[in-house]
Amino acid sequence: MNQDDWKARLALIRDGSLSALGKTDAAGLAEFETHYLGRKGELTLLLRDLKDFPVEERKILGALGNALKTELSAALDVRKAETGAGAADLKKSRLDLTLAGYPFPQGSLHPLTVTANKMCDGFQKLGFSIADGPLIEEDYFNFEALNFAPDHPARDMQDTFYVDLKDAKGGDLLLRTHTSPVQIRAMKSQEPPLRVVSAGRVFRSEAVDASHSFVFHQLEGFYVDRNVTMADLKWTLEAFMKDLFGSQAKVSFSPSFFPFVEPGAQVAVSCVFCKGSGACPVCKGTGWLELLGAGVIHPNVIKGCGYDPEKWSGFAFGAGIERFAMLLYGIRDMRMLYENDLRILKQIQ
Amino acid sequence: MDFIGAPLSVEELAAKLTRLGFNIEGIKKTGADFSGVVVGRILTIEKHPNADKLSLCGVDDGSAVTKVVCGAKNIAVGQKIPFAKVGAVLSGETLKKARIRGVESEGMICSAGELGLEGYDNSGILVLPESAPLGADAAALFSKPDCVLEVEITPNLAYCLSHYALARELCVFYGLPFKTPAVPELPAAGPAPVKIEAPELCRRYTGVVVENLAAAKTPEWMANRLRAMGSNPKNNILIDVSNFVMYELGQPTHCFDLAKLAGPEILVRPARAGETLKSLDNQELKLDAAMLVIADRDHPAALAGVIGGLDSAVSDSTRAVLIESASFNSSAVRLSSKKTGVRTESSYRFERGTDPELTVFAARRMAQLIIEASPGAKISMVTDAYPSKRPPRVIEVRPERINAILGAGIAEKDIFACLKAIQPELEDAKPWQFQVPGYRADIESVWDLAEEAARYIGYDVIPARSGMPVMLAAATPAFEITREFRNRLSGLGFSEVYNYDFIALKDFRNCLLNEEEAVELKNPLSADFQFMRTAMVAGLLKTLKYNLNRGRTSVSIFETGNVFRKTGKGYSEETMFAGLMYGTFPAEEFWRGGAVPADLYHLKGVLGRLFREYGGFRFEKAKTPPAYFHPDAVLEMKLGNSPAGFLGLLNPMAAMNSDLKDNQICYFELPLKAPAAAYKPEFCARLAAVKPVSAFPGAWRDLSVVIEDKFEWGEIEKEIARAPDLAAVKLIDVYKGKSIGENLKSITVRFVFSSMEKTLTDAEINAHISAILLKLSLNFGAKLRS
Repeated sequence: MNQDDWKARLALIRDGSLSALGKTDAAGLAEFETHYLGRKGELTLLLRDLKDFPVEERKILGALGNALKTELSAALDVRKAETGAGAADLKKSRLDLTLAGYPFPQGSLHPLTVTANKMCDGFQKLGFSIADGPLIEEDYFNFEALNFAPDHPARDMQDTFYVDLKDAKGGDLLLRTHTSPVQIRAMKSQEPPLRVVSAGRVFRSEAVDASHSFVFHQLEGFYVDRNVTMADLKWTLEAFMKDLFGSQAKVSFSPSFFPFVEPGAQVAVSCVFCKGSGACPVCKGTGWLELLGAGVIHPNVIKGCGYDPEKWSGFAFGAGIERFAMLLYGIRDMRMLYENDLRILKQIQ
Repeated sequence: MDFIGAPLSVEELAAKLTRLGFNIEGIKKTGADFSGVVVGRILTIEKHPNADKLSLCGVDDGSAVTKVVCGAKNIAVGQKIPFAKVGAVLSGETLKKARIRGVESEGMICSAGELGLEGYDNSGILVLPESAPLGADAAALFSKPDCVLEVEITPNLAYCLSHYALARELCVFYGLPFKTPAVPELPAAGPAPVKIEAPELCRRYTGVVVENLAAAKTPEWMANRLRAMGSNPKNNILIDVSNFVMYELGQPTHCFDLAKLAGPEILVRPARAGETLKSLDNQELKLDAAMLVIADRDHPAALAGVIGGLDSAVSDSTRAVLIESASFNSSAVRLSSKKTGVRTESSYRFERGTDPELTVFAARRMAQLIIEASPGAKISMVTDAYPSKRPPRVIEVRPERINAILGAGIAEKDIFACLKAIQPELEDAKPWQFQVPGYRADIESVWDLAEEAARYIGYDVIPARSGMPVMLAAATPAFEITREFRNRLSGLGFSEVYNYDFIALKDFRNCLLNEEEAVELKNPLSADFQFMRTAMVAGLLKTLKYNLNRGRTSVSIFETGNVFRKTGKGYSEETMFAGLMYGTFPAEEFWRGGAVPADLYHLKGVLGRLFREYGGFRFEKAKTPPAYFHPDAVLEMKLGNSPAGFLGLLNPMAAMNSDLKDNQICYFELPLKAPAAAYKPEFCARLAAVKPVSAFPGAWRDLSVVIEDKFEWGEIEKEIARAPDLAAVKLIDVYKGKSIGENLKSITVRFVFSSMEKTLTDAEINAHISAILLKLSLNFGAKLRS
């Protein structure tokens, strides 16, 4: 066999193989591969014949033969993909695609955490910085500085736990009954303007039932600056509610009482579940959900923190985080939040 | 509605009150809201043939006798009773003929509850007085149907703690005509012998003596009103009138039996040390000098504003009374009430402040009602001691100041109208000089008046409009760390739980905690919640047990919260992060298998992930771990030089004490202080520069050596980690077994070599490996495993 014969045979293999490949189906591809590229395949044998050629010729012809081998392999791969021949193996092994995926460990955040985070985020967007305070608190921060005089009956509104520890003045320390002491701590340690939000645990000596707990959580926010008004407060709370419940949310104020604000307001948001129409189990058909207490910071509080209430003014608001969480997750019984049943907790997104 | 000169439906009334800040807690129907019930008489009583506890009564309704089944025990022949005939309407439902245990019952003998009547004995049927005419409509015997609104009154609205005051409030704020009851003036009479010795605690004392009394009964209309208020009338005008006037006008009063007071004077004075008072409800009250009493010559006769004494109490034999209508200091009354533990409707009102201008009017009303009920009685003495009369408070008001507080644009005339409604004599000369009426002691400043203006016009007058400048929000390191740690742990399969901060003494013992450090509640709800937790472990074990008891087999949970400890100097309060892992990993079964028991190394991996990229984080041998850890399976964590908590197996004792049989509970608890201190608020400062990787291919070699079991991987790693061109070293297998030999183990270590300058040759890598092997054999006697 001379050079030309070899080249002619190569050309024949090329034409034959490529045209055959186009007609071969998935089942025939393995046979095709054996026929041309296998150990005793046509192309393999032809390349083996090169051993009888002189070195110079062998180099040139070898390059040609190897080029065809590469071309054919590539064409075979394409054909395999076209006909789905690769998947044929899997078909044979019968993959049950309904089997469960690997159970990567799935944790969860507590609903109160998710709710508090969301609420803090909402107020942070409005420029409120995060602050916190201790749970064991002095009477001064929890009551006195918040305009609860020592003998004021307003103290009866918050049944207080006391602990067997004394403050510097010899008074009993207590467990904070609200997050409002953070207001005083912040104002005493920083100069206004101040825009602060704080979320945390509070304690009241109350019997536990579906809507009461002796341990619960509050979110507190306040803003002190010059010329702060109740309209600023309403705007802030409405912006927050829109963030949480959608742009159609509206806020309504009605008179209420907290010793550390004057005027004081009960804050309701338009019911997001029924849009204010019909018999809604959540808002009981009123169209409104009472969610916060708020008001203009009482001048006695501003004064007590060392500022002139004629120059500095502010607003404050507070809400129960449980109330929001129960609303958002449709939880009816507050005790569920402290039972720690993983069948419940693992559902929290 | 006695005081409002305009018709209002209950719904309108409730809406108007709500708008002013009064929370309506309930609307209750009262009176005889039934029909078809007549006065009947029980003629016969037989046993029900089929039921032991039922009777068969023959009831005469004036025109016929019918058989009725009745279950009450207090029935007797001859009783007059409310008899509901078939067709009667009770609580909105029509009574039908019924067969009860096989016997026809044509009607029903009613109890007070079945008739919807409050304030009567409801333990059996309601027995009517003998005077009730047989066959008459029973509804006529009771008050007409009405509604009672239950109104929550917050401390700032305490001036509305009466019907009169609440009506006045509605009239002031809605411009309704206010009708003051016609009460005769007190006649000229000699003074009652009252002396105020503590004028700072008693601003005013009005005393009126009424004589010629004859055991008069309480009129039915008054008794009905008291029942509607939830109070039980005592059928003695002298007792009931005091309550009635308190509910009507808001002024607590008291009647002393004059004959039981030792003359010549009645003193309003501080109690003396050691004095006692036997109260109306027969308790022996210990008094002290901080309490104000009303005393006769010898003894205290009443604890001022709180409760009267039994020895001077009125009775059916009282012939003359001293009516007390006074204004006591609210703090003093609160203190007396707190110290003695006696809380009354009277002390409730005094604590919240009463109007000193009301005492005379209330005394007049008392006298009027007593004399009406007890014909022939007359007023013989009148005293009105008012030693501490104060001028009214004056507040200067500018309308723009009100609008500045509210952020509203209320018209000047509207603000003026509001102020004038509260103080009718206000003159329109600016700045307005607003005089606070006596009953509105709560109004102290222009802020209070801003609230009044908003209540008057409606809170909707406040717009949602911001004039607030933009401010940059920041957060505390503790807040950021807490959020990050929570997210990481939940991402690693842990569920967050919330436990109470309170634990029981037995929790300290069960969890091997130090009781000496416990902060104790002075007023715990129960022994289960008596102490503040000093560690998170008790709550987490409780949660583990709770979930195991509900069928779960794997539990991975965490919690963040504060722990509280008494220390030598005082106490500490610290935020902790803690969690436990129990069961298998992964927690859920996979169909291909592969779940293994969750152990210490799983948890160690979790904590390594938690502290990833915290520079200087490491695990160390624990020096003084908390007792609730297994002493031989615990590690300490460090962040730089700061302690960052412990992790390990729970002490089997703690597990056993908590009734957890398996002691493979992996636990960690760490203080948030160290990571919070290391936290850098600047985002850019928290990032580490990226290390370049080599452009040349790396190569790896596995080396298996046999080594004595006593050598720990930590010390081995330290020796070999610093070889040249070594990019990574990782222990990939540890094997112990018979084929290896006693006290020996085989370890397989993977070495990854890489150079920044070139591709390493086989010869270079082999040289490195030989050097490492040499080091291992010299330092640890390691032998290449064949």
